[in-house]
Amino acid sequence: MLLQFEELLREVHPQAKISCGIDARGILTLSGECGNWDEVVGIGHLAAKQPGVKNVVNRLSAGGAPAKKDYSPHIAAGWQKGVIEDADILVIGAGISGVGIARTLSKYKLKVCVAEMAGDVSAGATKANNGNIHPGHAVKPGTLKAKLNVKGNRMYTQWAHELDFDLIRCGAMGAITDAKLMPALKQAYGIAKLNGVDGAEIVSAERAREIDGGFARLGINDIAGALWLPSMGLVEPYQVAVALAENAAANGVKFIFGATVADILRKNGKVSGAVTSKGIINAKFIINCAGVYADEISEMAGDPCYTIHPRKGVIAILDKSRKPDFDCLTEVYSKPQAQKNPESKGGGMCCTPEGNVLMGPSATEVPDKDDLAVTREDLDYAMGRGSVSYSDIIRIFAGERPSDYMEDFLIEMSPVTEGFINVGGIQSPGLAAAPAIAEMVEGILKKASDESGAPLLPNEAYSPFRKRPVEFRRLSRQEQTALIDKDPRYGNVICRCETITEGEILDALNSPLPPMDIDGIKRRTRAGMGRCQGGFCQPRILEILARETGKPWEDITLKGEGTNILVSKNRLEAETEAVR
Amino acid sequence: MKTIRTDIAIIGGGPAGLAAALEARRAGFQATLIERDAELGGILRQCIHDGFGIHRFKKRLSGNQYAQAFIDRIALEGGINALLGTMALEVSPDKKIYACGKESGMIEIISGAVILCMGCRERTAHQALICGDRPAGVLTAGSVQRYINIEGYLPGKTAVILGSGDIGLIMARRMALEGIEVKGVYEAMPNPGGLSRNLVQCLDDFGIPLHLSKTVSCVHGRNRVSAVTVADVDASKNPIAGTEEIIPCDLLVLAVGLIPENELSLKAGVELDPKTKGSVLNGDFMTSIPGIFAAGNVAAVFDLVDYVSLSGEMAARGAAKYLRGELRPNGYEPVKTIGNISFIVPQRLSKEATSCKQTFFLRVKEPQKTAKLRFTQDNKTLYSKRIENPSPPEMIYVEVEAGGESPIFAEIS
Repeated sequence: MLLQFEELLREVHPQAKISCGIDARGILTLSGECGNWDEVVGIGHLAAKQPGVKNVVNRLSAGGAPAKKDYSPHIAAGWQKGVIEDADILVIGAGISGVGIARTLSKYKLKVCVAEMAGDVSAGATKANNGNIHPGHAVKPGTLKAKLNVKGNRMYTQWAHELDFDLIRCGAMGAITDAKLMPALKQAYGIAKLNGVDGAEIVSAERAREIDGGFARLGINDIAGALWLPSMGLVEPYQVAVALAENAAANGVKFIFGATVADILRKNGKVSGAVTSKGIINAKFIINCAGVYADEISEMAGDPCYTIHPRKGVIAILDKSRKPDFDCLTEVYSKPQAQKNPESKGGGMCCTPEGNVLMGPSATEVPDKDDLAVTREDLDYAMGRGSVSYSDIIRIFAGERPSDYMEDFLIEMSPVTEGFINVGGIQSPGLAAAPAIAEMVEGILKKASDESGAPLLPNEAYSPFRKRPVEFRRLSRQEQTALIDKDPRYGNVICRCETITEGEILDALNSPLPPMDIDGIKRRTRAGMGRCQGGFCQPRILEILARETGKPWEDITLKGEGTNILVSKNRLEAETEAVR
Repeated sequence: MKTIRTDIAIIGGGPAGLAAALEARRAGFQATLIERDAELGGILRQCIHDGFGIHRFKKRLSGNQYAQAFIDRIALEGGINALLGTMALEVSPDKKIYACGKESGMIEIISGAVILCMGCRERTAHQALICGDRPAGVLTAGSVQRYINIEGYLPGKTAVILGSGDIGLIMARRMALEGIEVKGVYEAMPNPGGLSRNLVQCLDDFGIPLHLSKTVSCVHGRNRVSAVTVADVDASKNPIAGTEEIIPCDLLVLAVGLIPENELSLKAGVELDPKTKGSVLNGDFMTSIPGIFAAGNVAAVFDLVDYVSLSGEMAARGAAKYLRGELRPNGYEPVKTIGNISFIVPQRLSKEATSCKQTFFLRVKEPQKTAKLRFTQDNKTLYSKRIENPSPPEMIYVEVEAGGESPIFAEIS
């Protein structure tokens, strides 16, 4: 196999200097030098398609060695601080996978710790996607992705009920205006059926127009047929993550923020803990949900078995006054689709439960795991998926999908290091699959515990329920009046654009998992998410944060360490202070 | 819920609202001012620089002094109910307002007439489509002004300013005075956006360079701003590849335009003018909804506070006429614009109005050396004036004798 692949490489990439090897498990490792990053990614994908390859470790570089993250200062800091926690389970990463798993495990009598390098939950890919709960029609049949996507989609109804977050089952529709596209539509339907997507059906033009009033509004009268997927859902992803984390915390899960995991400790081939920048956390099991860094963590655990190649996506948020074109998540195809990135077409137009239209994300391979810069090219790509005006944009941002070269999820107990569970490659539809991912990991852990002779015991105090905080903007005038009468701070509107009150910000600060910075407050309350993007309310939120936490104003950050908004007092204040 | 009844309810206690309240009182009506901040004055409270009130008071006052002159009069004359710390949540077409506050609780305000004076908000870096990272250290000029002048803190050490409107220029000087190194002011347009006097007093006097036809295209820095990319722009204001230059700094200040805050107006059903982004107004500064008036920067972005106050007074006089039953809505005739005019306020005149002195505010689209401003009706010239060096930043203010049923044309040639 290896010889054939090497031959293929020489043929397709004659310039590249590549060596490769494959182990007994089928992990193919590539090393060498390529001309550019697209070539690196292309060769990785080519390797993944070879027969017998279970996954690809791609150590190819383009234009010199890739800048590797330096963990040594974190290791030094961790050893210096010593053991800070003795846990049964350590979950690495507080994205949707990590908090979902932690919350699911909180129903057992276990000490669960979550170590997160950022200052809050949902700080990576989880906050930077379009909140689509995909039906599962767009994934390759037979993959783990396909199985967990369809199952996770179904499970969201229960999550939304227990955790009290917004879930809109808007449904998705792919409509064609050319009968020539019918075979493609039928093929898509076939995949949906194969994957077990709930309620998928091919509908007539008449029925399509009945389901989605958008066709009539836009004057689209030439529909030839449509694929209707009623299970498509929309959430605010950060809201889901916060809800899960709050419920997990209420059930005893401990969150440690600002903790970069820098080394995995092993004894006799079994994990014993992790060195983090905040200190050492001992654990019997480690669950690796580290997103774009998951491959590096797996390598720390002695099991380098995949490589994450980040795929950047840029999203534009539009002003609420720009209504979505369609009622459902509907796209109209008039010709066969050409994709820029063969692995992902990115996203189109959708409307969040809060009522903002999102455009995108784009899909661009990038070498740098911290590269969240918006490029004009990606922005144009995201905006190109619908006819909207750039003047409706209120925010542009980017996230990175943590994709591996198999373009599938990798969820398994490491066959190399006992007690180390990989939850890697959780790119789209990772959000939709999150409940099923949590369930799968629960199963792996249950099995391992049973085999070790110490089966999991129920946590008697566990409650799956979490109530959403007060949302002033959604109340009737009567309810608002009663609320202000009870606590006048709900009468103090801080964020004008989204009508968020001081009372709601204080609720967030007193929640089981209080936010530490301006963006944390934004994700919990929406303060600053409106059209002025915090222009008016940021100074007032900063004031509340300083007052409530007892910190000086200069210490308040936008989004964690090094993002302080103010650098010093002004001249007058500094002089007055000096005189005092 | 408390209910307050008033003749004229004014939303916003900035310069437009203050002037409107005083004028409403002068006309013999009760006025209620709804102000979300704890004090009156609006954005003037953070404008500690001088240059306010040159027309009205023939003096160069600071923003605070200018506002205080009105606030003192309000206290002196009495009869104006100011609801402070109170946020208007909704205005209905039948002129009922819901507002709430920490002290006031939820209030229903039933009024005979409403004057919208909500002012404007600033365009952001995202709206200006600035790409790159999203670190700390990217702020609008108004936020920087608030942090420095009201809160007493500095948001950076080395700044780049995008936008040469007056706010950008004022903040360039303010930051320089505070010891912040201002690397330069960048302006995508080929001409400066601010008043000439500010170019001299805020940039030249402090040796701050102004770069025209250049924009900030990209922000760098994962935690805090470390640099920005500036580039020349093409005709459609997009950065030209190959002209990029990286300017190290830790603060990017955006002065890229103001947007009238018409969210309450829109919910009430008021018609907006896409040119001013404010409401369509008639000669009495009444919106498309009878009894709802608008003044100040929510109606159209003004250059001088004196005009903002004047518009507040005009709207209050209109509201007084409305309450006295002197405004009979018998249809309106739009004021048509020809030539180098970007917008005109009011946008339409009452049809049956007998000839009277009518105030117009307008801006040109492009700078011009010498221009002729003409108002005509039925091919007769109502008004004609030569204007030297008109430019978009400077508003043109004229009074014209106008009336009758046929349309009026305004022309700059």
